[in-house]
Amino acid sequence: MMTEQKRTVSIHVPVLTRVEGEGALDLRIDNGEIAELRLRIFEPPRFFEKFLEGRHYTEIPDMVARICGICPVAYQVTAAQALEKLFGVELDPWARAMRRVFYCGEWIQSHSLHIHLLAAPDFFGCNNAIELARIAPDEVRRGLRIQALGNELMDLFGARSVHPVGVRVGGFHGAPAPAQINAIRDKLRAALPEAEALVRWTASIAVPQDDQPFLSVAMQHPTDYAIETGAIGVSDGLRIEADAFDAHFAERHEPHSTALFSTYHQQPYLVGPLARLNLNHARLPEAVKTLLAEIGLALPSRNLFHSLVARAVEILLALHEALRLLDAYRLPDSPWVLVTPRAGVATGCTEAPRGLLWHRYEMDDDGRVVNARIVPPTSQNQGRIEEDLRLSLLNFGLDQPDDALRLHCEQVIRNYDPCISCATHFLRMNVERT
Amino acid sequence: MIGVRILGIGSPSGDDQAGWLTVDALLAEGMQAPGIDIQKLDRPGANLIPLLGDAAWVILIDAMQSHEAIGHIRHFGVADWPAYRHGLSSHGLGVLDALALARELGSLPARLDLYGIEIGAANPGEQTSHAVQAAAQQLAQRIAAGLSLKQPA
Repeated sequence: MMTEQKRTVSIHVPVLTRVEGEGALDLRIDNGEIAELRLRIFEPPRFFEKFLEGRHYTEIPDMVARICGICPVAYQVTAAQALEKLFGVELDPWARAMRRVFYCGEWIQSHSLHIHLLAAPDFFGCNNAIELARIAPDEVRRGLRIQALGNELMDLFGARSVHPVGVRVGGFHGAPAPAQINAIRDKLRAALPEAEALVRWTASIAVPQDDQPFLSVAMQHPTDYAIETGAIGVSDGLRIEADAFDAHFAERHEPHSTALFSTYHQQPYLVGPLARLNLNHARLPEAVKTLLAEIGLALPSRNLFHSLVARAVEILLALHEALRLLDAYRLPDSPWVLVTPRAGVATGCTEAPRGLLWHRYEMDDDGRVVNARIVPPTSQNQGRIEEDLRLSLLNFGLDQPDDALRLHCEQVIRNYDPCISCATHFLRMNVERT
Repeated sequence: MIGVRILGIGSPSGDDQAGWLTVDALLAEGMQAPGIDIQKLDRPGANLIPLLGDAAWVILIDAMQSHEAIGHIRHFGVADWPAYRHGLSSHGLGVLDALALARELGSLPARLDLYGIEIGAANPGEQTSHAVQAAAQQLAQRIAAGLSLKQPA
């Protein structure tokens, strides 16, 4: 808690402060040109991959869920599926389908939080969602309802929405009762018109016009809008299996960031909702395609400010997908299958709300981790964010006042929903002009 | 509609468990009864808002850091919440942020009592200090006494 009474009293919960990441932007403009532009991430490294070494495979889904409080399902499912592939586990079709439903819950809650609490206030001249709630209370209420429904879906399969514990290698620990499924189906169905209204609302918000060339990277599946299964697709036409990730993508340290920078064939690239929509819009359900045509969003888009509407579209998609899969719900004979570990290298990837998430585990004969590597979406987007800022600022005009430059930079960064410090005013921007 | 909802907020980090300890003490005193919903929450963020709207009276207990002695208990009514000072974040939406948002949305209960317990260190894995443990017991007794005035035995 923070407080300011008649006398100055500073109150805060230090744990909250620590879980938030810290970022900063250094911008130097010399003679009307950008001389330096660096997004600095100084969130201390957490050494999660090192913690995983020596751990038994049965512990991994629960451990990696702690990496992120917003997208734990992505970490759990990616780890479980990578290990299942190595161990030669064939999931029950029930478990395969429910993994996707579980994941839909996470997309719904994460996207709705980002749209309403982080991104939308910018476009209404508001400093935060509290101010936005004053001028658009119905929209914020709707957003919180949709977010709560996503959480409920996560609760159903994970026993809780924050750091859920439902996934195990081989399936799930338990299966929800049909009565629970019937109840949530009704809520999902009732949310469809709300999500459609959300798509229309986000499409109606005036966003800056930007046009940039960039590579989109997202998983692709022959028939579905890829979430938890598929190969990695690139907008240059290449398709890459998860185990070939290292042949095409490289991570490097930069002195100004504790997060690694990723490149694809030495180029920055985009992961996340807009990259997915750019590559996979043809796989959307017909009802969603119809709405896309109605709002007139031309895809692929080269304007990162369309990330807002892309998240709304993915919420609608996730509701449709969850409903489709739950309509055929039946209790499985067992929610999990037996697993026999074996030594080798496990790789896997899924589409976290913020984009491609790739895991690699080297396992020993006893099913313990020899070493682990996790490449999250935010580090993959880091190079693209810097490139975007540079291009977007030139388009915006470097002669704008400092405050306008700062707000524009914050808006650009928030398009990526970075998982470092999402605080509205996280950006400490130093502008030097000569 | 829930009659009274008591929410202890915290994290598993040293003194930041103050809200949880208060709830534990209330449960130990047998405060569970029909119409009273008691929960421990770990940094609920925006998920706090739905818990406010369907209760007539909400009692929130959280850790605070000001310049008081560790274990000092402070009560805030709706009219004198600590001022909102931080930006919003999906990762770090604080209790006051959520309360402020709920107020804008008209989702506050008819009665809301916010208690802060002054804490010291909040490091992951550490135990709570004796002063905070004692304060949690004391606050639980205070809340229980207040409820017994309102609730039939």
